[in-house]
Amino acid sequence: MIHDFKYLRASTAKEALELIEQHKDDYKIICGGQSLLILMRQGLVAPECLIDIKHLDELNYIQFDKKEGLRIGATTSHRTVETSLLVKKHYPLLVEMEQNIASIQTRNWGTIGGNLAHGDPAGDPGPVFIALNGKVKVANKERERTLPLEEFFIDYFETALEEDELLLEIQIPPIPSKTAVTYEKFNIIKNDQPIVSVAASITLDEDGLSCKDTRIVLGAAAPAPARAREAEKLLVGKKMDDQLLKNVGEVASKEADPVDDIHATESYRKQLVNVLTRRMLGKAWKQAMGLAREEA
Amino acid sequence: MKKYNVINTPVHNIDGIAKVTGRARYTFDISLPHMLHGKILRSPYAHAKILNISVIKAESLPGVKAVVTGQDTLGIKQGIWRRYKELCDEEILARDKVRYIGEPVAAVAAIDEDKAEEALDLIEVEYEPLPAVFEQLEAIKEGAPLIHEHAERNINVTRHIEWGDVDEAFRAADYIREDWFRCSSQAHVCMETHCAVASYTPEGKLTVYTSTQSHYYIQVLLAWILGMRENDVRVISRYTGGGFGSKFELDSAQFCSSLLSMKVCKPVKIVLSREEEFMATKRRTPMFYYLRSGVKKDGSFLAKEARVFTEGGAYTAMGATALYLTGFFQAFPYVWPSYRYDGYRVYTNTAPTSAMRGFGAPQAIFCAETQIDLIADELGIDPIELRRKNVMYPGYEVPGQAYIQSCGINQCLDKVEEWIKSRGELPPNRGIGIAAYGFMSGGIFNWFDTPYAFSSAVIQINIDGKVDLYVGSQDMGQGSNTTMAMICAEELGVRVEDIRLHMGDTENCPVDLGAWGSRETLMQGNAVKMAASDAKRQLLEFAAAKLSPNIVYDMDIKDRWIHLIARPERGISYFDIVKEAIRGKDGQPIIARGHYTPHRKGMISPAYSFGVQAVEAEVDPDTGKISLKNCVTAHDCGQVINPIGVKGQLEGAIAMAAGYGFTEDLPMDEGKILNPNLVDYKILRTTEMPETNVFEVETYEPEGPFGAKEAGEGLTNPTAGALGNAVYHATGVSIKGLPITPEKVLAALKEKNKKKKK
Amino acid sequence: MEKKLLRITVNNEYHELYIKPKKLLVEVLRDELGLTGTKRGCNTGACHACTVLLNGESVKSCSVLAMQADGAQVSTVEGLQDKGKLSPLQRSFLDHGAYQCGFCTSGMLMSATALLNKNPDPTKEDIKEGIHGNLCRCTGYNSIIRAIKAVAEGKYKEDDR
Repeated sequence: MIHDFKYLRASTAKEALELIEQHKDDYKIICGGQSLLILMRQGLVAPECLIDIKHLDELNYIQFDKKEGLRIGATTSHRTVETSLLVKKHYPLLVEMEQNIASIQTRNWGTIGGNLAHGDPAGDPGPVFIALNGKVKVANKERERTLPLEEFFIDYFETALEEDELLLEIQIPPIPSKTAVTYEKFNIIKNDQPIVSVAASITLDEDGLSCKDTRIVLGAAAPAPARAREAEKLLVGKKMDDQLLKNVGEVASKEADPVDDIHATESYRKQLVNVLTRRMLGKAWKQAMGLAREEA
Repeated sequence: MKKYNVINTPVHNIDGIAKVTGRARYTFDISLPHMLHGKILRSPYAHAKILNISVIKAESLPGVKAVVTGQDTLGIKQGIWRRYKELCDEEILARDKVRYIGEPVAAVAAIDEDKAEEALDLIEVEYEPLPAVFEQLEAIKEGAPLIHEHAERNINVTRHIEWGDVDEAFRAADYIREDWFRCSSQAHVCMETHCAVASYTPEGKLTVYTSTQSHYYIQVLLAWILGMRENDVRVISRYTGGGFGSKFELDSAQFCSSLLSMKVCKPVKIVLSREEEFMATKRRTPMFYYLRSGVKKDGSFLAKEARVFTEGGAYTAMGATALYLTGFFQAFPYVWPSYRYDGYRVYTNTAPTSAMRGFGAPQAIFCAETQIDLIADELGIDPIELRRKNVMYPGYEVPGQAYIQSCGINQCLDKVEEWIKSRGELPPNRGIGIAAYGFMSGGIFNWFDTPYAFSSAVIQINIDGKVDLYVGSQDMGQGSNTTMAMICAEELGVRVEDIRLHMGDTENCPVDLGAWGSRETLMQGNAVKMAASDAKRQLLEFAAAKLSPNIVYDMDIKDRWIHLIARPERGISYFDIVKEAIRGKDGQPIIARGHYTPHRKGMISPAYSFGVQAVEAEVDPDTGKISLKNCVTAHDCGQVINPIGVKGQLEGAIAMAAGYGFTEDLPMDEGKILNPNLVDYKILRTTEMPETNVFEVETYEPEGPFGAKEAGEGLTNPTAGALGNAVYHATGVSIKGLPITPEKVLAALKEKNKKKKK
Repeated sequence: MEKKLLRITVNNEYHELYIKPKKLLVEVLRDELGLTGTKRGCNTGACHACTVLLNGESVKSCSVLAMQADGAQVSTVEGLQDKGKLSPLQRSFLDHGAYQCGFCTSGMLMSATALLNKNPDPTKEDIKEGIHGNLCRCTGYNSIIRAIKAVAEGKYKEDDR
C-alpha cells in the first residue's frame, strides 16, 4: 500500500532544487513515477514528501548542435526521443533502442532522466549512452556538475547523485567519423527488460578497416552497466576477423559479473554476453567500414 | 453439409456491446452501499502449527469493523469431491495448521483497503514451524514430513487404468523406448483476479457477487461450509473476467468476505492482488512422467505403460480429476492394444495444484507426442504416417473407458500433412513439429454429488415473441452465452435478437454444473435444445390447428416462419402463433423445460473432440532462443455452433498452450513462488504469437446439440508437444522438461555437439 | 493528510475533486467518478488493462498520480461511443469477436484509439506494437489485430453508422 505523503509540485528547475534542499532528509522526486510507484506500493520506499517534476517543461527538450552534439532534458519522455526527427537523423540507434523499451504507454509517460536516475543495470539507455560516450549534468541548489555516464552508475539502483542533487540533462557528443554504434538486448518476450544486453561502438582508423577506438558496454551483466575493458584492448589496431571476434566475445563474457536468477543462470548470461558481443562488434564494424567507404 | 439459419453463422457475441462500451460490470466493479473492504492475512510458512492468533490490536484500529480467524468458522473441511469425504480436506481459513505459503489464517474488514492492510500487520500469529517438503518424489519417501494425518507417505490419491496384456505385448514389440519427463506448473493469469462481494443481511440471507465459473458450486460449497440452507445463499456472477479452471472451487475471497459480512451484517468486498493470485490460488498440476512404449517395426503401436507422480500441493482440490484425466488422455488419440497407467498424487507443502485448461491432458500429450516423434525417428517412419497408422476411428471403443462416436482425426492429419508439404523446404534453423490430441466434452462423473440434472434450461415465450432463456451455464469469456442463444434460436426457429438470456444468478437460473471440463456446449446446449424443442412443439400445436394441413405434412419454424416442411410457402408468422398460443393457454406465456445428464456414456465423456496441430519454429543456434513462425490446426469439434467464438478459442488456446511450452513457469524456493507478478511471469504478448491458420474438419456427433462437441479446451493440448517437436526437428535436440527455455536448448545443443566431436 | 484540489476533464466533462495526493488516476476514475470501464489487473505496470488517454497520449492510469493529471484532458472507454453510437473501433471489435472475457478490452480499445489517432494507416507490425503493452489471456491477440486492421483499411467509415 502506498503511504501518505506531502505532495509538492515544482514549475521551474530552480524551484525544484529549492524544494529538494528544504526536504532533503526525506523526499523523492516523482516524474513518470512508473518505477517509483511500484516500489512505494510494495512499501519498499515511503518518502514523507514527493516533489513532482513531471510538468517541468524547462527540462523537456531535445537540442542538437554539430559541435556540441545532442542534449536531452531530463524530463523528456522516451516517446519524444523515439519520435524526434533530430534524433532519427543524427543518432538513429537511440530511436531503435527506444522502440524496444517496454510499451508505448510506458514510453509516453516515462522519462530519460527518470530512467537513468533509477540506476537499474538492466536499463537500456545506460549502456547505449555509455557506448556513445555520454555525460550527464546534475545540480543541487548551489552548483552544477557534469560527469561521464560510466561514472554515474555505481551499483544496483545506486547512482552518483548526491541526496540533494537533481539530474538535469543528458549530453551525447557528436559521433566521430568512421564510427558505428550498435545495441542488442536479449529477452524472451520482446521489449521486456533484457536478460543481458550489449552496446558496442567501433571507430576506425584512417585506413577505414582497423579499429582505432572501441567501447563494449554490458547491460544487466553486472551491478551497473560496465565496460568490458579487457575485451576492448584486444581490438585496438586490429582488422575485423572472425577468430578475433570469437576471442573478444569470450573475454567479454569473463568480464561479466551477472546474477543467477529465475530467468537465467550466471553461466547462460555469460554465454549470451559472448554471443551478443561478437554480434554487435561485427555489426558495428561492418557499418563503420561502410561509413568509411562513403566518406572516401 | 447442413445449412443452418443461425448456428455456424457469424453472430455478434451477445455481451459484446456491454464489453466494448465498458458497461459490463464485473465483480471487480461492484460497489454496494455501506460496503467494507477486506484483506486476508496469509501464512509465511510452508508448514506450521498455528499456536495462537491475537486479533485485539487489529480490532481496535479505528476503521476496522471485523476480524475473523479459523476459530470463527465451523471447522468444516470442504472440497469439491463431496462424494468422497476423505478428499474434502481444505478448511480454506486454517485453524490448527498451515500447509502452504499463502494459506489464509485471518481476514479483516475495514472502511477502506489501506486500513484493512494496516490491520493485517497488527494481527499476531504464533506459529510453530514444521519440517516441510516441496517435491512429490521427496514427499513420498519414508520419513518425509506428514502433511495430512490420514495420508500415509503423503499419498493423496492413486489411479489405475489398464486394458490388454501390457507385459505380453512388450515381449512382442520390435522396439521399446522409455522416457522421463518433467511437466511444469502454470498460472491461469485471468485478467480479473479472484474477487467477491459478500452481503449478509438481517433476513439471514447471504448474497455473494463473485467472479466464478460455477455459481452453483459456489452456492452449495458456501452453504455447506457456513452451515446455511443452500437456498438462503445466492451467488451472482453476470460477467467473469477469465477462469481457465481457476474459478469453480470455493476460494478465499468468497469464504472470507462471507464470514466477515456475517459478522457485521454489511457488504464486504475482497479482491485478491495479482501477487495473491499467483501465490495462493490454484494452478496447473506439475507432473513427473514416465512413459514406456512398445511398437512393431512397421510402426504399429502395441503397448504403453505410464507412471505419473503429480505434485499435489497442500490440498486435493481438483487434483484427483487431473490425475485421472492425464492417464486417460495419455492413450489419446490412438488405438493402443494394451495400456497400463498408474498415477499417484502426492501432497506437498506448496500451493494446491488443480484444474487448468486441459486438465492433465496438455501434460499427457506433451509427453506422448514427444515420444512418438522419437519413435518415428528411430524407426525411420514419417511422423504423420506413424500417427495415421494408429489413430482412433469412429466406433472405436477404448476398452472399459469410452466409446468414440464422431472422430475426424484422419481428416485432420490429411489437412496438416497438406499444409506441411506446401511449406516446402524450410529456411535454416527451422523445424515443423506436430501433435495430435483428443479431448472430452464434459464429464460424466458426479463426484460433486449433485441431485440435479447436470444441466437444465427453462424457456418462456412472451406476447411479443421475445424468448426468455434461463440457463445455468457460466460465460467466462468462452462465449457460452452466445452459444446458448444461438442453439435456442436455431431450434426454436427465431433469431438471436429474439432471445433474452438469463444467467449467472442462482436465484433465477436453473442448475448447471459450470464452465469446466468443456461441458457447456454439449451439456447446457443439449438442455437448451430440449427446452427449445418443447417450446416449438407447443407452438406447432397451435399452428397445426390454425393451418389444418393434411396429416402427411409435418411442420417446422425457420427464421420466424412457421411452415409445412414440404411446402414452405404455406405457413404463418411465428409472432401470430405466439399470440394465439398465449390466448389458448388462458393468457399464460409459453413455458418449456429441458435438461441433460449423461447416462451410460463410458467412464469419462459422452463425446470427444479431435485435432492435429503443426508448429513451425525457428531456433537461434547460438542462444537457443525459440521463435514461433506458424501454427496450423486442423480440428474436429463436430458441428461448429459459433464460428467467431471457435476461432477466438483456438487462437487463445494457442497463446496459452505455447506459453506452457516455452515461456511460462512457476519456479519455487522452499515452497515460495519466486515470480508472483506479470513482469517476471511471462505470458505471450502480440509479438510472440505465430501466424495462425485453422482448418475445420466437420463431423457429426450424435451426443451433441446439432452434432456439436467441445472446442475451447482440447485446443490447449497439442501446442507444447508440437512446439517441442518443432525444436527437435530444427535442432536435433529433444527437451523433456517444460518449459522449453533457450537455456535448456543451448545446453542440449552443446551436449549434442560434444558427443558429435567424440 | 491534507487533501488537494484536482481539476480534471474526463470524456469532455469537467470535474473538481478533493483527493489525497496518493490517489492514482485509475482510482479517481473508477472510485470517485464511477467510470469502472477502466480496469486494473496487476500492481507492477505490466498488464496495461488500465490504459486511458491523457492529453491524447496513451498511459497506464495505475502509474499516474491523479494530481499529475491536474488540468488535463482524460479519455476513457466510456467516452468512445457518442450517445449510443459506437465508434468504428467498437463496431469492428464486435464484428471480429475481438474480446472474450472482456476484461482487457477497455485498455485494448484505448491503445487502438491512440494508435489510429496518430497513425491512421498502420501495418500489422505497427498494430502489434500499438497494443504490445496490453496483455490478453483469452484471445491470443489475432482477432484484436484483425479488428484494428479493418478500421485502418477504411471498412468502418464514420458516416456509415
